Amino acid sequence: MQSPTPGAPQGAPTDTRVHALDHLRALAMLMGVVFHAALAYSPLVQPIWPGADRQNWWGVDAAIWLPHLIRMPLFFLVAGFFTAWLLAQRGGAGLARQRVRRILLPFLLAWPLVHVATSFSTQWAMQYVDHPAPLLVLFRQLMAMPDPPSLPLSTGHLWFLYYLLLFSLLLWGARSLDWDRFLGKWLDAGPAVVSLSLPLLLWPGFMLTGAPHPAPEGLLPQFWAMLIYGPFFALGLGLHGRLHWLAPLQRCFWPGVLLCLGLYALFLLRLAEGATLTSTPWWWAAIEALIAGWGSLLALLAGLRWMQHANALMRYLAASSYWTYLWHLPILLTLQYLLMDHNWAWPLKFALCLSATLAICLLSYEWLVRRTALRRYVG
Amino acid sequence: MSQELNMPLIRLLVVKDWQLFQKQLAALVLAGIVALALLGLAKPWSFYLGSLLLIVVLVAAACFAIGTSLLTERKEQTLAFVMSLPVSPLDMTVSKLAGNLITFGVPFLVLLLGTLLVILGTPLPDGLLTMAILLFGHVLLAYCLSLTVAMQVESEGWNLFVMITSMVLINPFIMLLGQIDSIREPARGNDIVWSTPALAILAAQILLSLAALGYILWRHRRRAAFY
Amino acid sequence: MTAAFAVSGLCKRYPQFELKDLNLSLPEGTVMGLVGVNGAGKTTLLRLLTGIAAPDAGQVEVLGRRLPEAQVAAKRDIGFASEDMRLYRSQSLDWHMQLMRQIYPAWDESYAQHLIQRFDLNPAQALAGFSHGQRVKALLMLCLARRPRLLLLDEPTTGLDPVARMEVLESLADVLRDDQRSVLFSSHNTHDVEQLADSIAFLHRGQLIAHADKESFLDNWRRLLCLGQAPGNLKAWPELAQVRAAGSQIEIKVRAWREDLPQRLDAIGLSVQRADPMTLEDIFVTTVRAGGVA
Repeated sequence: MQSPTPGAPQGAPTDTRVHALDHLRALAMLMGVVFHAALAYSPLVQPIWPGADRQNWWGVDAAIWLPHLIRMPLFFLVAGFFTAWLLAQRGGAGLARQRVRRILLPFLLAWPLVHVATSFSTQWAMQYVDHPAPLLVLFRQLMAMPDPPSLPLSTGHLWFLYYLLLFSLLLWGARSLDWDRFLGKWLDAGPAVVSLSLPLLLWPGFMLTGAPHPAPEGLLPQFWAMLIYGPFFALGLGLHGRLHWLAPLQRCFWPGVLLCLGLYALFLLRLAEGATLTSTPWWWAAIEALIAGWGSLLALLAGLRWMQHANALMRYLAASSYWTYLWHLPILLTLQYLLMDHNWAWPLKFALCLSATLAICLLSYEWLVRRTALRRYVG
Repeated sequence: MSQELNMPLIRLLVVKDWQLFQKQLAALVLAGIVALALLGLAKPWSFYLGSLLLIVVLVAAACFAIGTSLLTERKEQTLAFVMSLPVSPLDMTVSKLAGNLITFGVPFLVLLLGTLLVILGTPLPDGLLTMAILLFGHVLLAYCLSLTVAMQVESEGWNLFVMITSMVLINPFIMLLGQIDSIREPARGNDIVWSTPALAILAAQILLSLAALGYILWRHRRRAAFY
Repeated sequence: MTAAFAVSGLCKRYPQFELKDLNLSLPEGTVMGLVGVNGAGKTTLLRLLTGIAAPDAGQVEVLGRRLPEAQVAAKRDIGFASEDMRLYRSQSLDWHMQLMRQIYPAWDESYAQHLIQRFDLNPAQALAGFSHGQRVKALLMLCLARRPRLLLLDEPTTGLDPVARMEVLESLADVLRDDQRSVLFSSHNTHDVEQLADSIAFLHRGQLIAHADKESFLDNWRRLLCLGQAPGNLKAWPELAQVRAAGSQIEIKVRAWREDLPQRLDAIGLSVQRADPMTLEDIFVTTVRAGGVA
């Protein structure tokens, strides 16, 4: 993504903290790949994940929802930081150009391709897989009807690009109206105030949607997604030039981790009774808000503490993470469809799908992007 | 009297008008996003509110674009300042036209695209597309007429009258569309039908809009000086 | 010497007003003051000189270019500031300067900064917060800093407090030290005109009723106080602009003074008690009242 990698524009800070954030963002992206790979073996999403396998294990559910609550908030947090960084470096017009080049264009090109690839492999799976996921069975039945309903258009897993563009637009509007001073006031209130107010800001968003919260794939912007991811983006914007502000929070790191794990246990207890679809009870939403808010801050602290020293592998993964995340889903689903009929142990299937997906993505990155013109857009 | 267009200066003037309009545009964009999110809530009340807000944003974009770049300039006498810059009357006309079309055109196109996506991508009947496009066509025509009047007539009263009247005519226009069978019937179904009356109305809207803009250029082309 | 501008046979008709058959020119490097009451046609003339208005008859040539056809090229070298001109209230002076920088390659940044300091203006403040005097000075600064060859100023000191007026006059005087630059400024404040102008033109009801260099005006006009009886045909004398009874004395305003005039008056029974020079204001008012061409 837009990062101060070697060959970065002049004026790029050699500040290792910025590198740490870049790596954090890459980690969040890659965690998404792991998450989607694991979804096939989660009992909770078995009815709705097209690649759901016959085998599943409750332990998967116990493990994956914590990263799910943290990874996209963390992504938007870091994205906000880099947006402010770009704004300081290149001004409003430069930021707009960069958004078009690295977000709008890849979105417009990848979206139809991903959509076509996913429908193609899903239709193949509907026809030929002997042990299809419940969702595939449902699709089969719908297609068999005389007047099959058409699926509404969705942005799929590329919703994060759509919302990044939306937030950039909102940022432009807020700056034009001079509202960005409120952000400064919020952050100047200090880490304690922000840490306590952040979950409060997230709370309404979590209440307005189901739990665990879905991907906001619709073409129309969703209030709940803007209410959840917006504050993270704003916080990231404000943290630019204020990274030292996080220092006092380092003391709370380990207690914070323990607290989040405890909250997560409560979350899981409720989850055992079943997920919610369109809205969530206030207390459960509060737990989610706390985990998301504090968990992301803790992840940020961890990254700043331990990821400042880049090695070549981290840099490579960071540079390739955008490309990988763009294409991983159709590839992953195809592999999941292919392995559906095999009787191997699910950890083996999981490892196979994950490593094959990553391999294909990284190889294609190496051949198609790293040394070509595409690097400016998705490298 | 052929005059060459001073393109760099025209671009500067368009950028200047854009900068003057920026705050209002930002407010309109934010309102537009809220409107789209309301539509996204997919509840009857939010659908009604969202579409109402969208129409308000569209009409506001038209009025503010014309108001800021033409009416306010005259009233606040900044027009005299611009005329003292190395511009010819044709340069001014072109920059006002271009600037206005951009400042209105961008929200107009975005809302049009958004509406099309809403109709096509959600459970709403696709047949509504025809009526939606005709509605946007009406707004475009109303805008071009208001722009033509604003560039010719100095009286703020007349300008407001034309803008308000043409926009208020949206309601009778919708009712008129509802009276035409070949437009009303397909709107309930999922087939997009362009009947002859619908095509005729759309063609008239586009041609009249272009004629209005063409008239401005023709009128102002022959002017040697501002006064 | 080339003319900064030259108009001949200039006519411009408006519903309530008409500029008639104007012939005027300004040599380069000089200053002309245009004096006239409100509605005399000063603004109209200035608009015609910038090409913003087109004449109904006659010719306008500014800096060697015919107007209004070549107004774009002409306006690059002209700095025009008029009383009805306003800057954008929501924007700052910095924003306006940025606009000027992009339009005029001759923009002199250091001179602009010097003027900002001298005029005591805040470039970051929105113009809505400027007082009238500050606005006038801002407009003038934007004109001066682009180093125009011809400055056309419509009522530059009208409505200014004494301090601001002095600042404006001083900065105009600075401009005039440059032999290449010409200035035409209109005013009904004759003191300013007297201070700065090389030549003076009187405009009244759309007609040029007097035009000469300043010294000629001041040399040719006198105010005489006489004792005696004024004969009836005294008013017909061409060199006398006005004859008036002032108590027991006769006040005569002379438009073409010659040394032998007191003698000639003495010969008809008027003995000159005093002969004083007249202020430009007095000359102007007398000319207007006399209704003739000086």
